[in-house]
Amino acid sequence: MLLELRDIEVRYQKVAALKGVSMAVPAGGIVTIIGANGAGKTTTLRAISGLERLTRGEIRFDDARIDGLAPEEIVRRGIAHVPEGRRVFPDLTVEENLRTGAFLRRDKAEIRASLADVFDRFPRLAQRRRQWARSMSGGEQQMLAIGRALMSAPRVLLLDEPSMGLSPVMVQEIARIVTDISGRGIPVVLVEQNAEMALLLAQYAYVLETGSVALEGPANDLHEDDHVRRAYLGG
Amino acid sequence: MDLLWQTAVNAMYAASYMSLIAVGLVMIFGVMGVINFAHGELYMLGAYCVVFLYAQENFPFLLAAAAGLVFVGLVGLFMERAMFRPLRDNPLSGLIASIGFLLILQTLVVLGFGRRMGHVPPPTQEKLEVFGAVLTHQRLLVIVAAILLLAALWAFLKRTRFGWALRACAQDAEAAALQGISMTQTARIAMFIGAGLAGIAGALTAPLVSPTPYIGHSVIVTAFIIIIVGGIGSLEGAVIAAVLYAFVHTFVTTFFDGVIANIVGLALMLAVLVVRPTGLFGAKERA
Ligand SMILES: Nc1ncnc2c1ncn2[C@@H]1O[C@H](COP(=O)(O)OP(=O)(O)OP(=O)(O)O)[C@@H](O)[C@H]1O
Ligand SMILES: [Mg+2]
Repeated sequence: MLLELRDIEVRYQKVAALKGVSMAVPAGGIVTIIGANGAGKTTTLRAISGLERLTRGEIRFDDARIDGLAPEEIVRRGIAHVPEGRRVFPDLTVEENLRTGAFLRRDKAEIRASLADVFDRFPRLAQRRRQWARSMSGGEQQMLAIGRALMSAPRVLLLDEPSMGLSPVMVQEIARIVTDISGRGIPVVLVEQNAEMALLLAQYAYVLETGSVALEGPANDLHEDDHVRRAYLGG
Repeated sequence: MDLLWQTAVNAMYAASYMSLIAVGLVMIFGVMGVINFAHGELYMLGAYCVVFLYAQENFPFLLAAAAGLVFVGLVGLFMERAMFRPLRDNPLSGLIASIGFLLILQTLVVLGFGRRMGHVPPPTQEKLEVFGAVLTHQRLLVIVAAILLLAALWAFLKRTRFGWALRACAQDAEAAALQGISMTQTARIAMFIGAGLAGIAGALTAPLVSPTPYIGHSVIVTAFIIIIVGGIGSLEGAVIAAVLYAFVHTFVTTFFDGVIANIVGLALMLAVLVVRPTGLFGAKERA
């Protein structure tokens, strides 16, 4: 397994947001984490990226423990994280945003190549490269946030609700992008409230309920599961 | 008319070194979210570098001024390590610690140099005429140095990866961390640059102001206003606002007086708050 969470617990003050969660992300494909508001999906990704400390358990990447490392160090090892709400830098231009994504890389030629690649995948970003990020639409900002993450040349990509607040057309576009990224050999961990879309895209799925894994299995199976249908697929 | 023009030239000089001080203040606030109340004392410390190295030890003036930039920059790094980093989660504690540090710096300078005015003989007595107004070479040096330093800072913020990192960190420190940008690293850069600019402002003006250990006080008075007018939004926006504010404030001070300048400053601040009701920490709350 490329990335492994073993029985992790995260607390906010006294309250446990994750109560012993275990997950495994293989070296290819899409793994999704679905669940209701407050289930702990964001907390799981934040724990992987070192933004939250574990109170129990461990996180392994490439068989080395990464829990307890600083976020910078975790990025350096190849984990890119597109946070909930996109969090692009509003007062940087599109290109500057993308270049901050490559902050830890030093080879200028390689960075230029990545930039060209991102502009290739997201022509809208190329058209707007000198524009302030704040002036972009929600969908464009989401593309920018994903492009910024790709600029670090990641070995795994964490995506936190990329479809949030987007129009159906834009959600389709994001779905295509996620599939494309995974198709190019970068494994993706996709957190979604849009369970329908997530289960269609992913090969494997985890269902989080109040800080614990309630259910896991191949995404197809969960898509047909009665409990999942009732609780997350609206029927 | 002549008097008006002469006053404008004087104000130009005053605004130049105030800009250097103000820009450092907003950089530190922008990146670390703390108001550095000891900033005026960093300016004072820069002046005493020149008192010591140039007036007492006879090193060349420009060398002493450059040493002021580096030494005060290092003091800034010390402040980051000793105060602002441990107190990072609590901007109010950082502010209070900086007030304590201000008193320590003052006391150390009094112990080392006494409370009396330090006399710094001007390195040059020459002057030139600009359309009828007199401008000493010393004042011209301050203006030119300020322009060069601010241009260099601008290029740094706009063209280098650490410049982007600083701006990114000022806008969203956590999102910056997810790009591999370490808060500690950017805080150190901001602190070195911010303190160093205050230091060189003090160093270059030392022959013109007759430094005392207390010259930093006047800076604190305007610090809050500058932070509020300039400290909202983007880092380079803050830099521009700080420079503009320094110009308005010093022009009003030179043409009228300091009290009216502060009133104008407060009016400006209110205007900013009306337009940007997110106010004081507006940029930081966006998360
Ligand atoms: N900074 C915080 N301080 C205190 N409690 C928090 C904090 N962040 C999250 N929580 C709590 O932790 C739990 C898990 O939150 P988390 O944000 O991980 O959920 P989520 O599954 O991402 O929800 P959503 O779908 O709304 O994004 C919730 O009960 C939430 O209220
Ligand atoms: Mg969430």
